[in-house]
Amino acid sequence: MASLISRGLAQLKSKEMRDYLMRREKHFWGPVANWGLPLAAIADLKKDPEIISPKMTVALCFYSMLFMRFALQVKPKNRLLFACHFANECAQLMQLARFINYKYGTPQPMKQYQVPPSATKPPVPPVRTV
Amino acid sequence: MLILSDLYRVAIRTGDRVLTPSMKKIVKWDHPAGMKYIHFWAPLMKWSLVAAGFGDMLRPANKLSLNQSISLFATGAIWSRYSMVIIPKNYMLFAVNIFLAFVGAQQLARIGHYRYTHPEAQAKN
Repeated sequence: MASLISRGLAQLKSKEMRDYLMRREKHFWGPVANWGLPLAAIADLKKDPEIISPKMTVALCFYSMLFMRFALQVKPKNRLLFACHFANECAQLMQLARFINYKYGTPQPMKQYQVPPSATKPPVPPVRTV
Repeated sequence: MLILSDLYRVAIRTGDRVLTPSMKKIVKWDHPAGMKYIHFWAPLMKWSLVAAGFGDMLRPANKLSLNQSISLFATGAIWSRYSMVIIPKNYMLFAVNIFLAFVGAQQLARIGHYRYTHPEAQAKN
């Protein structure tokens, strides 16, 4: 058990691992930047569904769908990017479901049919000037 | 029921049959990053994020998500830098990420301005 842990730590401190993280590697830091999107969506799951933008959510669903396939088709395969877009797809679909539930599932007040206050005043009789 | 992937495959097959070799050379039909492969369509789909961001300009500023704006700005900025250091340089990826960074920054500016001018409003985002 102890040798397993020490071997694992040795692998983390190895030169290959440092090279993977440190060199200007678009395969690592690019996908890490992309993780902001699913994490933002997961953080937004607890917030008011009013702040969900339907256009952006649908666009992100299609975007993540395509990039899941892209991540597995590039050479070398980028499983980190695949995981990122898979998580984003799940989170955006949840946001979409919350938005649809909020907009069409809960009764919304009909804001545009408010009676104007002038309609409730009694009509003033016209003053005869002649 | 209309299945879009079958429609796409039919379109590609008719393109393979109908186009002459010279036409195929002009539009780079058989290129490994061409219209037949995901390497073309996936970065093209990133423009839809920019379009959605522009469409969100019509939404009132208190209905924008702060987390999403920050992550869009960060991903646009970082990817626009990386698209210039990879080999080969990818100018379309650079363009789409620059626009995405602008859209994210614009949403952040709108949220910031709203919060500055409405200090009494309860922040939903």
